[in-house]
Amino acid sequence: MLKDITFGQYFPGDSVIHKLDPRMKLILIVAYIVLLFVADGLFSLLIGTLMLGVIYSMSKLPWKLVIKCIKPIMPIIIFTAVLNIFFVEGEPLFEWWIISVSKKGVLTAVLMCIRIICLIAGSSLLTYTTTPIALTDGLERLMKPLQKIKVPVHELSMMMTIALRFIPTLIDETQKIMAAQKARGADMESGNVIQKAKALIPILIPLFVSAFRRADELALAMECRCYHGGEGRTRMKQLKLTSLDWVAAAFITVGFAAVILMNKFGPEVFRL
Amino acid sequence: MAEIIVKTEGLRYIYSEGTPYEHAALDGVDIEIEKGSFVGVIGHTGSGKSTLIQHLNGLLRPSYGKVFIGGEDIWANPKDIRRFRFKVGLVFQYPEHQLFEETVYKDIAFGPKNMGLSENEINERVLEAAKLTGLTEDYLEKSPFELSGGEKRRVAIAGVLAMKPEVLILDEPTAGLDPKGREFILSEIKNYHERTGATIILVSHSMEDVARFASHVLIMNHSKAAMFGETREIFKKVDELCEIGLEVPQISRVFAKLREKGIEVPESVLTVAEAKEAVLNILGKGGKADA
Repeated sequence: MLKDITFGQYFPGDSVIHKLDPRMKLILIVAYIVLLFVADGLFSLLIGTLMLGVIYSMSKLPWKLVIKCIKPIMPIIIFTAVLNIFFVEGEPLFEWWIISVSKKGVLTAVLMCIRIICLIAGSSLLTYTTTPIALTDGLERLMKPLQKIKVPVHELSMMMTIALRFIPTLIDETQKIMAAQKARGADMESGNVIQKAKALIPILIPLFVSAFRRADELALAMECRCYHGGEGRTRMKQLKLTSLDWVAAAFITVGFAAVILMNKFGPEVFRL
Repeated sequence: MAEIIVKTEGLRYIYSEGTPYEHAALDGVDIEIEKGSFVGVIGHTGSGKSTLIQHLNGLLRPSYGKVFIGGEDIWANPKDIRRFRFKVGLVFQYPEHQLFEETVYKDIAFGPKNMGLSENEINERVLEAAKLTGLTEDYLEKSPFELSGGEKRRVAIAGVLAMKPEVLILDEPTAGLDPKGREFILSEIKNYHERTGATIILVSHSMEDVARFASHVLIMNHSKAAMFGETREIFKKVDELCEIGLEVPQISRVFAKLREKGIEVPESVLTVAEAKEAVLNILGKGGKADA
């Protein structure tokens, strides 16, 4: 049950997308999301979709990963589609009883669905191709200006890194504790809600205790190595922007320009 | 021949079957353990020891093959699996990490309570288990979290002993303890073995401990039961064990070397006491072992 939880679903690889600087990837993904919402017609949105397709094939990830990340949000997509189809007013396409479906409604629904899918697939691409550690690293660097207004950027990113690091460890621990309590006859499957909740106590308490123990040990180990926060700290792996990153930035910029041009001069059909 | 209490038949367990990560943690294990024996299980990390013992009390369900406890197929009726968990007590590695109750008493009582015993019976069993593990009465009302590491482990083991399992399995019960603590836990297990006649399965990395306590040894290697037999017979096979990359008890090694040098020493020496005897015998001082 627990082993199905994937977090920071990184898929190792050495494609050009994997090699991009995490900072650039973060900025570009934000730019891409803005692009998706700037696009106001089917054709400009198709440019966005096409861009995503190109990037995906460059990342050499298996295509079924796209389906995997869309699946959990399918209910939201369907909900949005239904809402838009029935409740956006406009010239009716057909009417039946109290239900009226407008052309605009259908178009909005289609556009929204494409947007959501691209948005999720795009941001999943980020987590698929970037290790969680690189991601927090990139975030820290990007948020650095916030230090000026006393935001503890380094501490926040260190917390994130540690949290990410310990998720698999704690999952492992949970499984061990569950097995141990089951061996003592703990019954976790049967009973009503209250009994089931009670059955969690023998698992949660040892889990908390061990989480605190680990935190203590980690803090001690960090202090032993003279960790004193982010001030004056240098990095083993320096983030460096390469020409690859600028090519990627150029790609998104060109895409952005194409979308704006399509918005302005593209065919007038399928527009909102 | 004694009654067979634990039996596995063509036991295979495959992790993440049907995915690219598929790998067999157990690959055809057939063992028969006699009632009342003390089995030492030895093997490298990842050889399938832990997976095997988790099959014996039904925590893991075999992908193929069967597990019999006292002649019954434990998965004949999956709803009935808890019954076998009480019959086969399993003490995990670092069992002190599973403590959760407010008092030592309540924690030891967790297993018996799950068995649905009466208050009196629970009380009796808790006191008995505490006594077996050397926990005096004033421990029982303490919080398990204020005890020392070694004491916590004793509480955790008592929690399993209180279920009075017919088969007691321990996964490296002495890991991380100092020599005194190790000695205590081991003698406690031996004590339980002798007093109740229960079958013991002890997973250990220490050849010395296994040589000292176990009547039988099971060697796991590459997800298979590489060797299984009486302790003396197994430890005679110094070469085979070395091939698997396992150490034999120090004494066995010393005596194997002595034999190589042409000194006639018995093959089945396992402990220091026996070694002393054997050496004195050769020196012609047999019987006067007072040195």
